[in-house]
Amino acid sequence: MKVAGADRNRRLITAGAGTALAVAMGLALLAGFRLATQIRSSITALQAASELQTYPGVISQQLTALRERLETREYTGQAHAELTGTVQRFNDDIQLLTKRRGGQSPQLQAAVQSWQAYTPVLAPVIAFSGEPYIDTDSGSSLSESGKMYYDNVRQAQLLAKQNVGVLHRLLTAVSGSLETQTSGAAARLRALLSGGVLAALALAAAAAYLQLTRAKHERAAREAQDQTRDILKTVREGFFLLDADYKIGSVWSEALTHIFSRNDFAGLSFEKLLEDRVPAATLATAVKYIKLLWGDRAHENLMKSINPLGQLEIVMDNGRGGKETRYLQFDFHRVVGPKGGVKHVLCSVGDITSNVLLAKELQEAQENANAQVDMMVGMLHVDPLQLGSFLDTTETGLQLINAILKEPARTDGEFRKKLGGLFRELHSIKGEASALNLMSIAHRVHQLEDMVSELKKRAEISGNDFLPMVLKLDDLLAHLRGVREMATRLSALKDPSPAADGGAARKGAQPGKAAGLARGRTGEDISPTLQALAEKLAKDHHKTFKLTLAGLADVPAPYVATVKDCVIQMLRNSAVHGIESSEARRALAKADVGAVRVDFHRSGDGYELVFEDDGAGISPQALKEAAVRKNFISAEEAASMDTRAAMALIFRPGFSTQEEVTMDAGRGVGMDVVARTVYGLGGKIGVSTNPGRFTRFKIVLPAAEAASSAVA
Amino acid sequence: MLREEELKTFVEGTTNYFEVAAQQPATIGSPYLMEGAPAVHDYTGVISISGKREGVVYFTAPRAMLTVLLMKMQENDFSHETMRDLVGEVANTISGNARRDFGRDFVISVPSVLAGEKPAITQKPGQRSFIIPINWRSHSAKLIVSLT
Repeated sequence: MKVAGADRNRRLITAGAGTALAVAMGLALLAGFRLATQIRSSITALQAASELQTYPGVISQQLTALRERLETREYTGQAHAELTGTVQRFNDDIQLLTKRRGGQSPQLQAAVQSWQAYTPVLAPVIAFSGEPYIDTDSGSSLSESGKMYYDNVRQAQLLAKQNVGVLHRLLTAVSGSLETQTSGAAARLRALLSGGVLAALALAAAAAYLQLTRAKHERAAREAQDQTRDILKTVREGFFLLDADYKIGSVWSEALTHIFSRNDFAGLSFEKLLEDRVPAATLATAVKYIKLLWGDRAHENLMKSINPLGQLEIVMDNGRGGKETRYLQFDFHRVVGPKGGVKHVLCSVGDITSNVLLAKELQEAQENANAQVDMMVGMLHVDPLQLGSFLDTTETGLQLINAILKEPARTDGEFRKKLGGLFRELHSIKGEASALNLMSIAHRVHQLEDMVSELKKRAEISGNDFLPMVLKLDDLLAHLRGVREMATRLSALKDPSPAADGGAARKGAQPGKAAGLARGRTGEDISPTLQALAEKLAKDHHKTFKLTLAGLADVPAPYVATVKDCVIQMLRNSAVHGIESSEARRALAKADVGAVRVDFHRSGDGYELVFEDDGAGISPQALKEAAVRKNFISAEEAASMDTRAAMALIFRPGFSTQEEVTMDAGRGVGMDVVARTVYGLGGKIGVSTNPGRFTRFKIVLPAAEAASSAVA
Repeated sequence: MLREEELKTFVEGTTNYFEVAAQQPATIGSPYLMEGAPAVHDYTGVISISGKREGVVYFTAPRAMLTVLLMKMQENDFSHETMRDLVGEVANTISGNARRDFGRDFVISVPSVLAGEKPAITQKPGQRSFIIPINWRSHSAKLIVSLT
């Protein structure tokens, strides 16, 4: 910038000197012209003065000639005419000279005065006309007028003798003065011309210097331009300037062309640049941000921290006819003009796609590592047998899900038919995963449930809609494999004996068979799993309750899975809907700690499972309102429903009183699964409640043998 | 893990072929997973992929479906060679779509065609293939994506 300033000053000085020289030359020429005019005038005057010098002598001679002619009585006409002409010319010339230079020359004034004194004497001579002779017998003699004429001539001749010397001297002095003046003017003209020539030479030198300087500057500018072009061509970021109308300037880096696959940026507005490539809301925010940058009071560092385009996801042509998602980073710097205002905004655009993808991969890897650690920590608290059983069950469930997906489908109805089955299986797996605190599995299943839930809401579904689901299913299966491998390692760590190692490891090798064994295992105590789930639910939902379990160690093998699934579901319902917060319980004069009781015992030929909590109970009215709100029943149907029918709503697929879906409730899948399972085993389920006091579910199951045949 | 966009690229490559060649779009059935090499139909067009992903993608279709497709394309030659060419064309379209969307990330082989044989699939333990039924008119083919 300093170099540019010095250049500007030098240019200004050169231009100023050039102008001054040109003005000086002009003035010299003007003065020269005036002097030349003056010299010309002086020369004319000098010529006139020189001529005038001769006139007094001529006049004197002509007077003498005229007198002699009069005396010899010769013809006087020609002599008179010559005298008259000379006097007239003298008179004219002296008047002209007086007019031109009368005020400047005292000699001329003296000559004029002398002439004016002489003129009255000459006037009668000049004025004479006619014949001066008369013829007589004795010959020609002067007539009376001729005598007067002769006297006048003689008198004039006499005066001429006196005046001619004076006039001649005066006129010579005038000529000398004029000559001096002319010489002086000529000398001045020469000096002026010399000055003019010098000025012209100086001007030429200045022009040459200016030309050289300009050439030098142009060369420097060209070099700078070349360097700028090289920078703009080589730099990996897209650079451009935005003007006050948010339009791109005429220069940009080549990378910008590659980033946006276009090269018509000049005059393109920033909005147009990103239009159709980013969501409208993002674009609007970006435009607002750029407007803010033009504000004088905006602090650049602060503005940088709120840059909405720091990492912009953008859909672009990939140059092969397809589209691709890229991540661009926009950075903005205000270019301040010499007077302090914002002149431009410099934008830099970098393609940070690889960085973002790498960061995502790193984050995923980190999350996976964390999830694995969490999973491992969680698994440490789970009985290996329980874990193996869960993994087998889950794998079997996922195989069932895959089998549901595999069922051929072409129509919306056929696709939709799959959703119910998928939902139930997923919900069951999620319940068990949550019970064992295997949250990485529970979350994945929850995401799958979300997908199914979304599909249910769609007006029409097709095979394309199942693509994300099948990908997620693949991910879940891969995750399960990882968990199983980890379980094997943990098992080996806990008990390095071959027998212990074989437990989980063998399950890894033969999941299908292990699943069958898990479902048929006898004497498996599900109490620890349920207690762990109760603790987790209490923590997650900020509730305080105590779970009392009785008789669960005696659950016959064919019922273990069913009882576990049912209790898990009812426990989740209690934690979410039933048990009130400690404050609410206190306000209702209840004990701070809620009570949930599960009792499994023989009853007649079969078994009875009682699940009871001392929570808020179920309000038939609330059930009816939720059912109407969710379009399960009409308002008229709700009005005509008795309490029993209203209570039966909880067993309807998809029914939930909760609006928001969480890990533990809200989908309306749960109690219908419980009911379906119980009915499938040939059992019954009943519910009794007292709003504000308790809810009790009673499940009656047939003898285990009957259940086995029902399952078979 | 395979991304949804990647799977969609292969699916669209397949369904687009039917739309362009027969002016009748194909739809996809319910996708599912399978370990090992799934059964194939009469003709199979295979592309091998390496680079960011490794494995094979193949389109397998029954003779009856290909015959109707050829008829819709105003073709009178229903020979074995024409059938081979046709599945090769489908595989070519899938390959073109993948090249368009993935560029240099994927190295895609020239399609090969098998008649009645299963392509050689090398899967890692626990790896599954994505089976996507391709329904066109009353017929059904399969697109199998087996990539790691």
